[in-house]
Amino acid sequence: MSQIEERGSTHVYKVNRISKEEIDSMVERCVYEEPPFCNAACPLKLDTRAMLKAAGSGDLKKALQVYEKAAPFPLILSTGCEAPCEAKCRLCEVGDGIDIRNIEKAIARYGQQTRLGSIFRTKKKKTVAIFGSGLFPLFLAGELEKKAYPITVFCEQETLEAFLHCETPFLDTDAFSLELKRLKGKDIQFVFGCTITSSFLEEKRTAFDVLCASGSVFQQLYPEAAFLPELMICEAAQLVTCREEGVMAAAFGAKKAALTVDRLAQNLDPRNMRGSEGACESRLYTDLSEAILLKRIPENGQGYSAEEAVAEAKRCIQCHCEECMKSCAYLRHYKKYPGLLSKEIYNNTQIIMGDHQLNKPMNACSLCGQCTVVCPNGFDMAHVCHIARQNMVSTDKMPLAPHEFALLDLYFSNGDAFLARPQPGFDTCRYVFFPGCQASAIAPETVKAAYLDLCSRLEGGVALMLGCCGAICDWAGRYEMTGRTEEFIDREMSKLGNPIVIAGCPTCAKELKSHEEISVRGIWDVLLELGLPEGGYGLDRPVAVHDSCGARGDAETQKAIRTIAEELGCTVIETPYSGDRSPCCGYGGLTAYANREVAAEMTEQCLKRSEAPYLSYCMACRDRFARQGRESRHILELVYGTDAGSPPDISEKRRNRLTLKNDLLRELWLEEPMEMKLDYQLNYTEEARRLMDERMILTDDVIDVMNFYRETGEAVYDSESGLLIARNRVGNATFWIKFIRESENSYTVHGAYSHRMNVVKRQG
Amino acid sequence: MAIEKNYYTIDPEGKLQCMKCGVLLEKGKAKFMYLDNGFPVELPVCPVCGFVYVPEELALGKVASVERALEDK
Repeated sequence: MSQIEERGSTHVYKVNRISKEEIDSMVERCVYEEPPFCNAACPLKLDTRAMLKAAGSGDLKKALQVYEKAAPFPLILSTGCEAPCEAKCRLCEVGDGIDIRNIEKAIARYGQQTRLGSIFRTKKKKTVAIFGSGLFPLFLAGELEKKAYPITVFCEQETLEAFLHCETPFLDTDAFSLELKRLKGKDIQFVFGCTITSSFLEEKRTAFDVLCASGSVFQQLYPEAAFLPELMICEAAQLVTCREEGVMAAAFGAKKAALTVDRLAQNLDPRNMRGSEGACESRLYTDLSEAILLKRIPENGQGYSAEEAVAEAKRCIQCHCEECMKSCAYLRHYKKYPGLLSKEIYNNTQIIMGDHQLNKPMNACSLCGQCTVVCPNGFDMAHVCHIARQNMVSTDKMPLAPHEFALLDLYFSNGDAFLARPQPGFDTCRYVFFPGCQASAIAPETVKAAYLDLCSRLEGGVALMLGCCGAICDWAGRYEMTGRTEEFIDREMSKLGNPIVIAGCPTCAKELKSHEEISVRGIWDVLLELGLPEGGYGLDRPVAVHDSCGARGDAETQKAIRTIAEELGCTVIETPYSGDRSPCCGYGGLTAYANREVAAEMTEQCLKRSEAPYLSYCMACRDRFARQGRESRHILELVYGTDAGSPPDISEKRRNRLTLKNDLLRELWLEEPMEMKLDYQLNYTEEARRLMDERMILTDDVIDVMNFYRETGEAVYDSESGLLIARNRVGNATFWIKFIRESENSYTVHGAYSHRMNVVKRQG
Repeated sequence: MAIEKNYYTIDPEGKLQCMKCGVLLEKGKAKFMYLDNGFPVELPVCPVCGFVYVPEELALGKVASVERALEDK
């Protein structure tokens, strides 16, 4: 058997096959982190979704905490707010949007305030003075208090009540007293009864680091001075101030002004590092098809009661784009949306020294392309994982262990089990049947029947090629091996006269179509053209068609399979996520080898779509469903009246391929194949078989060990278990076999295990 | 005097016999090697031919987890 070279740990940085720009442009497509539409519409950036979630769960205290982050005086804001969020609520498109403002009012009124003051917080050293009264000074004081600045407000009023009342006459008595209590709880110093003049202000300039003023004070003292509304500053007067009137304008102005104060206090340019301010557009995608539409809770002009607010908040559908998460078991397993996962996978490829913690997730994607179809922006996680794998290979950091078994299987398919022959009686052929490695491994009788049928009904000769198309090494990111496999296939095709490929597997069809010299048709198309042969059968109960990921985007193939199934008498059930949206069975992308847990979740996800028997047109899907105990058929089994039966184990899969090749050589080409015969007998206990399948140990590996044992006599006798234990290093692994020597030429294998580390005796 | 480091020690306690040499395996010095890393260990070793025995529990436990850690380095 050919060996694949294990990587070293001293990396020589070779070629970077992944670019940051490429990843960034892909990450840009993921809208998971986009704000919900209500949040985007709010200039104060209130996290409305989180607030409604808390309120909907009945936790008005938590809802108030969220609201207070955007609004230091929630009752004032909710009374005067113009609620631009409400018009943007996606529920407006299909029914009643959420009554956000009334919910906010109820939250502000009934939500229990948690933090009454901040006197115990460490204050900043820089001080701020605010001159004048009104909504802007009030909100600004609230914002700066949150940022822990020592603030002094100089106002004309004589009392705090008067200060608050002058600009909030719209508050009712209850609301006023609540907001007054809130204001009293804040760590803000007030100097009442001030007459604010230029000299008064200039006098304070030396005592404070940043000066702020209400709009009216600014107008009165500096009527001609220029004002920069985006920074809320008058640079000539060195004064942070405002011009707009109204609750929303004052609240938004105070937010901007607080940021300006923050920058000025640190002696930084207020123009820089401001982030996104104000309302914005959101690119978020919301699936409204599953939204439960309920009528808006009516409000009688007195505001919602706490219960009514909770009920109304419950109607919020919590806009999130989770289209990929809903459909992909892999993304759900890692609980990361593709934008974030891609960034992490990219970083994983760029680590030179240290742990590559994303190796496992990167190798667990089935590269099936489902995410690209279900994502409203066509995010291609398969591409990200594929180029990341290639990059790990190109920089010699890709571990061989997750993919070695599959790669050796490819070597076997295109080595010992490979067969390329023109139809008997032909030198070159018009067609070549390429059933795919899994079909020969799982349903050899079906492959044989299909080949004989094609030979008998097609003109110009049908050659046969049993081998691997190269998908295995392509999925593993082994691009050099993929190139070599392509060349190998091309050479063999050319020997057959470059015939038209009739593919038995959609993935092979897709893979072979990428060869310049090769034209490909699916056997399903040929069968529809020729008409179905005699002897086929349909199932007497409805079947769920599982579309192969190899046929994603290939509506004709998907349709052809259904037509054949119906012609055979099957009643086809369409499952959710069928056609282009079909999930992977867990075999694709070598997930089944690299991460069995995720692969099992993928299979489970496929099977939970229907209770009916599954009909596939990829043999790997058929196999994985059957392994889970589901009645599972390949379309060609039905067409040719065969039944591949229960799924073979990994050793039987190899033996089936070899037997098929040898049988066909004998029967059709009248050649006597070279067959290795053991000159001793090997039996296996059921437990040994189970362990070998679970641990990916082939009977060929066992034979290697036993041959070595018979040659050298090297083994250990374990007196506790009464078993002999022999070992041999095969390729990159050491295999250990536990057995009983029944006679000189007969052994019963009781167990097997392996490790990749090499072990040697040490001197000294 | 330097203390010799061993990452793992297994004493065969006279339960294992080398079939080639007909002697009992003894606790002996061995080394695991993987991806250019080496780990000194003490495992059951044949004092005559040097056969090093790796028990199943060790292979599937500690050895497998160290392999995975090194593969992702």
